[in-house]
Amino acid sequence: MNYEQAELLDRLAAEYVLGTLRGAARRRFARLCAQSAAARGALYRWEDYWTHLSRTLPPVQPSARVWSNVTRQLFGAGAAAPRASRWRTWQLAAAAGLVAVTLIVGLIVRQQAPPPLQTLVVLGTDSAHPVWRLERRAPLTALEIEVVGAVPPAAGKSYELWALPRGGAPVSLGLLPAGGRAERRLNEPQRAALLAADKVAVSIEPLGGSPTGSPTGPIVIVTSVSAAG
Amino acid sequence: MSRAAGVQPTQPPAHELDGAELEALLARCAAGDRSALETLYARVAPLLLAVLVRMLRRRDLAEDALQDVFVSVWQRARQFDPIRGRPLAWLISMARYRAIDLQRAARPAVALSEVSALEGEPQSEGPTDAIEMLGSGALLRRCLEQIAPPQRRCLMLAYQDGLTHTEIARAVNEPLGTVKSWVRRSLLALRRCLES
Repeated sequence: MNYEQAELLDRLAAEYVLGTLRGAARRRFARLCAQSAAARGALYRWEDYWTHLSRTLPPVQPSARVWSNVTRQLFGAGAAAPRASRWRTWQLAAAAGLVAVTLIVGLIVRQQAPPPLQTLVVLGTDSAHPVWRLERRAPLTALEIEVVGAVPPAAGKSYELWALPRGGAPVSLGLLPAGGRAERRLNEPQRAALLAADKVAVSIEPLGGSPTGSPTGPIVIVTSVSAAG
Repeated sequence: MSRAAGVQPTQPPAHELDGAELEALLARCAAGDRSALETLYARVAPLLLAVLVRMLRRRDLAEDALQDVFVSVWQRARQFDPIRGRPLAWLISMARYRAIDLQRAARPAVALSEVSALEGEPQSEGPTDAIEMLGSGALLRRCLEQIAPPQRRCLMLAYQDGLTHTEIARAVNEPLGTVKSWVRRSLLALRRCLES
């Protein structure tokens, strides 16, 4: 195959960038780009064409672990935190086909005067369907939870909220209300767990909550959060 | 999170990413300036993570990929060719190619029958919404709009969701050969339009 034919190069570059060029052909084109200015030219052109489309995606805030792992990997200093995908529970959740979609990640500080109430995170089954808004008091003594969308029906079950502290076991933050608004006072272990958490999760549990103190049912939401800010 | 925990960079990611600024940051990375990497991360990591989550469909894998991308950015900053310009295209491409490399490992965790369920929202939105978010004057939008919707959907499933020909064929319920030729012809049409 004569790769130097401009048309062919362009076609390969187009499919390489699009992602439909796979396997050995993909690797071959990548090698060609290292040698051929013409191939690189075609590649850059297609990469540039598509950039605008990627930029239409709503940004997703990474959890703090990612940056600390980058610096540890590059510059050393201390042991790396586990890579996110070693979190087997959440792998299983994903493998089970459960939807874990980040809605609004992180801390949106309200600009109002006191009493300070800050939106911590909005939880939902997908980006178009927010269900619960979690707000926190400052200092962190309680969570205000408001139902802001239709709670997916779960007959005879309860939705339970969990803090996932970095490197630690999930800690229950109580049940999520099925309607209206609820305040969940946090005891010291809950408060500490939430402050140390970079994610919160929602699982479906027997009515009244997990009998074991750990998530027992399917995890339907996992999302990043930062209460420590 | 507008206020991040710990050592995570805290600059708000700019919605309008300035190519000249990114290029300057890459040049500083190439010179070994760690603070430039931190600033670059704050600027582009949320966008790159959005791209990765969309393609890998798993937050944990996407974050691992993001970590890999920024390690590569630091190691390869010197290879960034300023002649080509558009550092954002370089960064987004690095993320997308990493996702494609990881997909072979990632996909078995999600059975193909579950793909559409997991992807429900992005796919049911169809390609039109993403295109509408491109500025009305954007050339890419005009050119994509000239492609017939079924063919355009194939392009979007490939580019945004990272689907292979085979996966696209299943998603749109068309024969593999049809999808391959749709993609090839759509890309030709797209190039003619973009270069006109």
